[in-house]
Amino acid sequence: MFSLFKGLVGSKALSEETMRPVLDKLRDHLIGKNVAADIANKLCDSVATKLEGKVLGTFETVAKTVRATLTESLVQILSPKRRVDILRDCMHAKQEGRPYVMTFCGVNGVGKSTNLAKICFWLLENDLSVLIAACDTFRAGAVEQLRTHVRRLDALHPMQAHGRRMVHLYEKGYGKDAAGIAMEAIRYAADSKIDVVLVDTAGRMQDNEPLMRALAKLITVNQPDLVLFVGEALVGNEAVDQLVKFNQALADHSATNDPHVIDGIVLTKFDTIDDKVGAAISMTYITGQPIVFVGTGQTYTDLKALNPDAVVRALMK
Amino acid sequence: MVLADLGRKITTALQSLSRATIINEEVLNSMLKQICAALLEADVNIRLVKNLRENVRAVIDFDEMAGGLNKRRMIQSAVFKELVKLVDPGVKPYQPVKGKPNIIMFVGLQGSGKTTTCTKLAYHYLRKNWKSCLVCADTFRAGAYDQVKQNCTKARIPFYGSYTEVDPVVIASTGVEMFKKEGFEMIIVDTSGRHKQEESLFEEMLAVANAIKPDNIIFVMDATIGQACESQARAFKDKVDIGSVIITKLDGHAKGGGALSAVAATQSPIIFIGTGEHIDDLEPFKTKPFINKLLGMGDIEGLLDK
Ligand SMILES: Nc1nc2c(ncn2[C@@H]2O[C@H](COP(=O)(O)OP(=O)(O)OP(=O)(O)O)[C@@H](O)[C@H]2O)c(=O)[nH]1
Ligand SMILES: Nc1nc2c(ncn2[C@@H]2O[C@H](COP(=O)(O)OP(=O)(O)OP(=O)(O)O)[C@@H](O)[C@H]2O)c(=O)[nH]1
Ligand SMILES: [Mg+2]
Ligand SMILES: [Mg+2]
Repeated sequence: MFSLFKGLVGSKALSEETMRPVLDKLRDHLIGKNVAADIANKLCDSVATKLEGKVLGTFETVAKTVRATLTESLVQILSPKRRVDILRDCMHAKQEGRPYVMTFCGVNGVGKSTNLAKICFWLLENDLSVLIAACDTFRAGAVEQLRTHVRRLDALHPMQAHGRRMVHLYEKGYGKDAAGIAMEAIRYAADSKIDVVLVDTAGRMQDNEPLMRALAKLITVNQPDLVLFVGEALVGNEAVDQLVKFNQALADHSATNDPHVIDGIVLTKFDTIDDKVGAAISMTYITGQPIVFVGTGQTYTDLKALNPDAVVRALMK
Repeated sequence: MVLADLGRKITTALQSLSRATIINEEVLNSMLKQICAALLEADVNIRLVKNLRENVRAVIDFDEMAGGLNKRRMIQSAVFKELVKLVDPGVKPYQPVKGKPNIIMFVGLQGSGKTTTCTKLAYHYLRKNWKSCLVCADTFRAGAYDQVKQNCTKARIPFYGSYTEVDPVVIASTGVEMFKKEGFEMIIVDTSGRHKQEESLFEEMLAVANAIKPDNIIFVMDATIGQACESQARAFKDKVDIGSVIITKLDGHAKGGGALSAVAATQSPIIFIGTGEHIDDLEPFKTKPFINKLLGMGDIEGLLDK
C-alpha cells in the first residue's frame, strides 16, 4: 500500500544502501565507456560520500540525483585547473631571445611523431618557426618519418610566404644518445633564431627501466618548457599505469630536487573510439594535468582542443 | 606472463569455493563478483564479462544440485568453460605449407605494431629456412617504406615497395606476383593502419585483399587496448576474412584482456604474441597450454570434459 506513494515521500535521506544499485549500474556504464575500472570505482564511491545523508526534494529521485552528481564531478575532472597557453609562452620565450622547447613522450605507437607534426603545422600557421629534433634514434624509419613531415610542412609553409625558412629538421641518424641530440638541436635553434623546438622521442614501455632512465635524463639535461605525455584514446586500464610510471620515472631518475614531470596530455586517435571516451577521464584523473590537444585523425588539421561537456555527454549517454 | 595477474585473481576466487563450508547462492555471487572485477581490470570487454556471469549463473541451479563436492565441481567447470571461450574460438589456425607460396596479409589499427610484427614473422620463418619476404603496401604513413627497408636490410629479408607508387593495391599485387615467381614460400604483406570510422580505408583494405587473395589475414592488436577493441575487431572481420590474431606489446605491464575480445569478435585464434621491439621478440602462442598455465591447474582438461 505504501509503495504506491514511494517517489512522492520527500523526506527520505540518501544512504549508501539506497544508492548502491544505482552506483553499481553507473560504474559498469563507465567501465563500458572505457574508464579504468579502479577510477570508475573511486568516482562512484566519492559520489556516495558526497550524497550520503542528503535529503531528497519532492521531485528528486535517487537515480537522477546520483547521475547529476556524477556528471558534475566528471566535468570537474576534465576542466583544466591550469591553462596551458602555448602560443603565449612561445612569444614570451621569443622575447627572452630563446627557443620554446616541447618534449613528446609516451609508449610505443600512440602517435607521438604524427601529433608532433600536427602541432608543428599549428605553430607554423601561427607564424612561429619550428625545429624538429629527431631524438628517436631507435625505431626503424623514425628519422625518415620526420623528414617526410618536414618536407610536406615546408611545402605548405614555404620560405617565400614567410620571408624565412619556417620548419627545420635536426637529425643525427640512429643509435646516438637522444639527450645529446636534443641539446645540440636546442643550441642550433637558439643560434638560428628559430622560435620553437619540438623534441620527438622513441616510444617506450613504462616498465622498461633503462629506457625510462634515458627519458628522465633527456628531460633533466635539457629542461624543456613543456613535457607532453602522448596517450591514445584506445588505451584501457593501462592508462593509469602508464601515467603513474612516466611521472614517477621522471621524478625518481632526475638528479634535481624539483623534477620536471608531465605538464600536459595529448590524447590521440580520438576518431577511433566512437563514444568510448573514458580514457580522457582516466588520464586526467591520475595526473590532474590538462589534455592540451586531442588528435582526431591522420592529417595536419586533425588537432582539436578538448570539449569537456561534449566528452561528459558522450560518457553519460 | 600474459594475463598472469588475471589468472592469479581467478584462482584465488575459485579457491573461495573450497574454503566455504556450504556452497550457496551467496558464495557463488561473491566469487563471480571477484572474477568479473578481475576481468574488467584486465580490460576484457564488459559485454563478454556480463555474458560470462550470466552463463555461469544459468548452469548452476541450487535447488536441483546435490552434495557440496558436486556443486564445487560444477561451478568450477562452468567458470573454466567460459574462460576458455574467451581465449579459444575453437578453430584451428592457418598452417603455412612449405614448398608453396603462402600469402599473409597484415591488418589492424594505427600503431598496433603491424610493420614490426611483419618483420618478426618473416624472420621467424627465415630462421626455419623458409624463403620469406616482405611487401610494403603502406603508402600512407610517413616513412613506412623506410621502416620496412631498414628492418629488412638488417635482418636480410628480401623486400618490395615503392617511394613513388601511391596505390597500395598496385604495390601489393606487383610485389606478391614477383615473389611468387621467384619461388618464395612466405610472402608477407604489410598494410597501413586503419579504423572502422573511415570507410575509404576499409575499402582500400578490401581492394588489397581482393587483389592478392591472401591465404591468411592476420589482425594485429595492441595489448593495451581497452573497451574499443571489440567493435573495431568486429568491423575488420566483417570487411575481410581474418584468420588469425597477433597480440603485441605484451612485454609491458598490460594484461592483454582487451585484446582478447579480438579473439571473440573475429572468431580467430591468437597465433603469436609480441614481447618487445626487437626482431626476435615474437613467441608462438598455443591456446590450450596457455589456459592451463593461466589458471595454474593441471586438471582443466578433466573438468572441461564433464
Ligand atoms: N586515426 C588516427 N590515427 C592517428 C592519430 N594520431 C596518430 N595516428 C596514427 O598512428 C600511427 C602511429 O603514429 P606515430 O606518430 O608513428 O606514433 P609514435 O607514438 O610516434 O610511434 P613510435 O615512435 O613508434 O613509438 C600512425 O599510423 C599515425 O598515422 C589520430 O589522432 N587518429
Ligand atoms: N614494446 C613493444 N613495442 C612494440 C611491439 N611491437 C611493436 N612495437 C612498437 O610499437 C610501435 C608501432 O609499431 P609499428 O610496427 O610501426 O606499428 P604499425 O601497426 O605498423 O603502425 P602503422 O603502420 O602506423 O599503423 C613501434 O615503436 C614498435 O617498435 C612489442 O611487442 N613490444
Ligand atoms: Mg615516433
Ligand atoms: Mg606500419
